Amino acid sequence: MNDSQIRLLLADDESAITANLKPFFERAGFLVTAVGDGQAALDEVAANPPDLLILDVLMPRLDGRAALRKLRQSGNWTPVILLTQVGESTERAMALEEGADDYLNKPFDPHELLARIKSVLRRARPGQPSLASSWRLVSDSLTLDRRAHRALLNNQPLTLTPKAFSLLEYLMTHPDDLLTRERLLDVVWGWDYPAGTRTVDTRMAELRRVLGDDPTQPRYIETLPGEGYRFIGVVRAEP
Amino acid sequence: MKLLRWLLALLPLGITIPVALVLQLLAPDLPRVVVRADPGTWLILLGGVATLFLLARAWLRRSSEKQCLEVINAERQQSEEARRRFYRRLDHELKNPLTAMRAALVNLSESSGSMASQAAFSDVEHQAERLSRLVADLRKLAELEVRPLEEYPVDIRDLLEETIDAACLQPGRAGRSVNLIAAQVPWPLPPVTGDRDLLGLAFYNLLENALKFTGPADTVEIRAAEDGRNLTIEVADTGPGISPDDLPRVFEELYRGANARGVEGSGLGLSLVQRIIARHGGELMVRSRQDQRHGTVFTVRLRVARDAGITKPTVTKR
Repeated sequence: MNDSQIRLLLADDESAITANLKPFFERAGFLVTAVGDGQAALDEVAANPPDLLILDVLMPRLDGRAALRKLRQSGNWTPVILLTQVGESTERAMALEEGADDYLNKPFDPHELLARIKSVLRRARPGQPSLASSWRLVSDSLTLDRRAHRALLNNQPLTLTPKAFSLLEYLMTHPDDLLTRERLLDVVWGWDYPAGTRTVDTRMAELRRVLGDDPTQPRYIETLPGEGYRFIGVVRAEP
Repeated sequence: MKLLRWLLALLPLGITIPVALVLQLLAPDLPRVVVRADPGTWLILLGGVATLFLLARAWLRRSSEKQCLEVINAERQQSEEARRRFYRRLDHELKNPLTAMRAALVNLSESSGSMASQAAFSDVEHQAERLSRLVADLRKLAELEVRPLEEYPVDIRDLLEETIDAACLQPGRAGRSVNLIAAQVPWPLPPVTGDRDLLGLAFYNLLENALKFTGPADTVEIRAAEDGRNLTIEVADTGPGISPDDLPRVFEELYRGANARGVEGSGLGLSLVQRIIARHGGELMVRSRQDQRHGTVFTVRLRVARDAGITKPTVTKR
């Protein structure tokens, strides 16, 4: 065993899932422990703190959501990826309230989960709450008040459709990450379809218009042609 | 409820009989009341009683019809709720095995070498992806019932142009074109109120179907017009048409018509379209012919936005 190896804790009651994901992550260089329910996950966190947790939602004994809540209440900020149904806005709000760093819909491509793990680990600030679990985010003159579902630019409230707000929220909680249109569809819309990428572009145009962000000289949202979008502003959490 | 009505109807008689009895007992010597009238007056009186009787009957019948309707509506709601629960369970029961399958496939393909097995893996992977799409569509259907609609003015012409661009950019669509005929004179199409993303998904599915069942020699056309109250959008193609047997069923979930066999799809596309249009208070119709002038026309009717502001969509209508 190598001490510098990154430890993943995978909690899912479907042993067919954990049994197949474990070798996949191990080949990617991680040290993986798999457990079958939320309580076992918390016990494992206490005994052998991992660098990142992957929690399914529906599990016996203690579900993923409750496990995450307990973890955060105890002041533990280990990054968590929740395998949840995020299409419904209430679900997303809950995942956020409980302090998940990212979420992914089942069934997923294992490579996509691997990409998410890497990006969450890159953003992680050990021992500190992540941007994803902060209620107020500030970037330059832009403020996102997630509790009130409000965005302010130079202290002036912005008029955004709920979809554009969710999009801005995901962008600001994942700054510096290359976000593909497919990923944005999955996490913000909850579903994907072949022409959906245009839907993302339309909303992004709306967002830029409202933010007064020039796509050729962006302050906030950068377009990476053929790849996706990236939030380039420096984001900090405000109490 | 019904018993109460009958009691109410019997109440006058129930009061007058005891009163008459009491009167008879306490004052047996009261003078008789004798009524004399000509035949015309008697006739009017008789007519009045008959009318009262008929009115009472009509009132009773109407209220019982209302009750029946309430029962039917409650039953319909229950079965809709049961269907939603079924979708949610199906989604849940399918997604775990699929997640495991996809992970297992990645493991297998990364550990195996021979060309033949690689081809087999990619086949299975492709099928697993197809199943994943089916699950995703099932989820969309289930969610459509409950997710709150965004209600903003939507420029349909703009949306149709975007949908056409997106559909023609899909792989295998090189050289395909779609005619868009949108009324512009004397004024442009008014906006409709709704969820732009969902309406886009609906039009995309209709257009995708039209392109899927036609060849490069066929014509696909989208027409949009308004009549002040409604906006009518037609997606028309010169494809082989849908058989009269299939036509009444095309909106059913997972129904695949004779033409659709061998063409990839989840069998949920049109159900999704129907749900989306219904949630916008609109209508969806289909006409199709298989003779010399074969082809299919899907018609979507959506209400024009009132004062182009934010209005509530009305009750679901099919």
